[in-house]
Amino acid sequence: MKIKIKKEKLVMSITIGIACFALMLVMFMQFNMVKQTDITGIETMRESELRLELSSWNEKYNELNTIYQETVGKSEEYKNERESYEKTYELLSKELEQLNKALGKTDVEGEGIVIQLTDKAGTQLSEDVKVKRITEEDLLIIVNQLFAAGAEAISINGHRVISTTSIFSIGEEFLKVNGERIVEPYVINAIGNPDYLKSTVSGKGGHVDALKELGHETSVDINKNIKIEKYEKELHTKYID
Amino acid sequence: MIIIAILIGCIVGALIGINAPVIPYTYSTFLAIAVVAALDSVFGGITSVLKKNFDLTIFISGFFCNSILSIALTYLGQKLNLDIYLAALVVFVGRMFTNLTIIRRYYIEKWTSKIEKDDKELQQ
Repeated sequence: MKIKIKKEKLVMSITIGIACFALMLVMFMQFNMVKQTDITGIETMRESELRLELSSWNEKYNELNTIYQETVGKSEEYKNERESYEKTYELLSKELEQLNKALGKTDVEGEGIVIQLTDKAGTQLSEDVKVKRITEEDLLIIVNQLFAAGAEAISINGHRVISTTSIFSIGEEFLKVNGERIVEPYVINAIGNPDYLKSTVSGKGGHVDALKELGHETSVDINKNIKIEKYEKELHTKYID
Repeated sequence: MIIIAILIGCIVGALIGINAPVIPYTYSTFLAIAVVAALDSVFGGITSVLKKNFDLTIFISGFFCNSILSIALTYLGQKLNLDIYLAALVVFVGRMFTNLTIIRRYYIEKWTSKIEKDDKELQQ
C-alpha cells in the first residue's frame, strides 16, 4: 500500500515537473523573442496596422519608382540627344577643318617637294642670246602642273596659293603673288605625292626643266616635312550673294 | 517531492528556453496564447487542490489540450482573418482571475480564522 502511494506520487511529480518544464520553456522562449524583436514601432502596432502601413509604403515606393524610371528614361534621351549633337558637332568641325585646310586658312604640314628657281636673266648664253627673265607665266605653268600632279597645298615664297590667288607681273620689274611683291629666288613649296610632283615638273615637258634649259638655275628637292603657312589675308566676298 | 519536481522542471525549462533559438515574430501569438492557457490550467489546478478535488489526469489533459486548442484556434483565426485568440484570451484570463479570487479567499479565511482562534486562546 505504501509503495503504491509512493508510485502514484512519483508519477504525479514527474508529470507536474514535465508540465512546469513545458510552461517555462515556452514562456522563456517567448520572452527571448519579444526581447529580440524590440522595435518600438512594430511592437506597439497591430498586424492590420502594419499591413496598412506596409501597403501605403509600397504604394509610395511604386509611385516613386515610376517617377524614377521616367526620369531615367528622360535623362537617357537627353544623353542620346547630346551624343548625337556631339557627333554632329564633331563631324561639322572635322569638315570645317578639312575645308579650312583646302581653302588655305590653316598652316599645313606634309611631305612634298621644294622647287627653287634663281633668275639668271641677262646672262649671255652666246654672243647674241641672252637669258630671259622668269615671268608670271612660268610660275603659273609650274603651279598648274603641280596641281595637276595632285598637289594639295602650294606656296610661292611663303604666299599660299588659294583659289583666288593671282600671279602677275608689274612691268618688267617684279612679280606679285596674292598682291604681295616677291623677288627671286622663287621658292615654291608643294605638298603632295613627292614622286608625282617631281616627275611632273622636272621630267619631259616639265616646266622647271624647261627653265633650266633656258639657262636658269633650278633645283627640285624632295622633303619629308614641308610646312606651308596659311593664307595671311582675309577671305572676303562682296558680290556673291 | 512535488515541490522539488516543480522546481527542477521550472529551472530546466527556463534554462533551455533562454538558450533556445529565437522563433520568428509571426509565431509569437501562438506561443503567447499557449502560455496563457497553461497558466490558466496551473491556477485551475491550485484551486482544485485547495478544494481537495484535484485530479492529475484532468490537470495534465487540461494543461496540454487547452494550450494546443488555443494554438489551433489562433491559427484558424489567422486563416479566417478574425482575431479568435482574443476570445480565448478573455476566457483564460477571466478564469485565471476567478481562480485567483478563490485562492485569495481561501487563504484570507484561513488567516482570519487562525487570528480569531488565537484571540480566543488569549482570552481564555
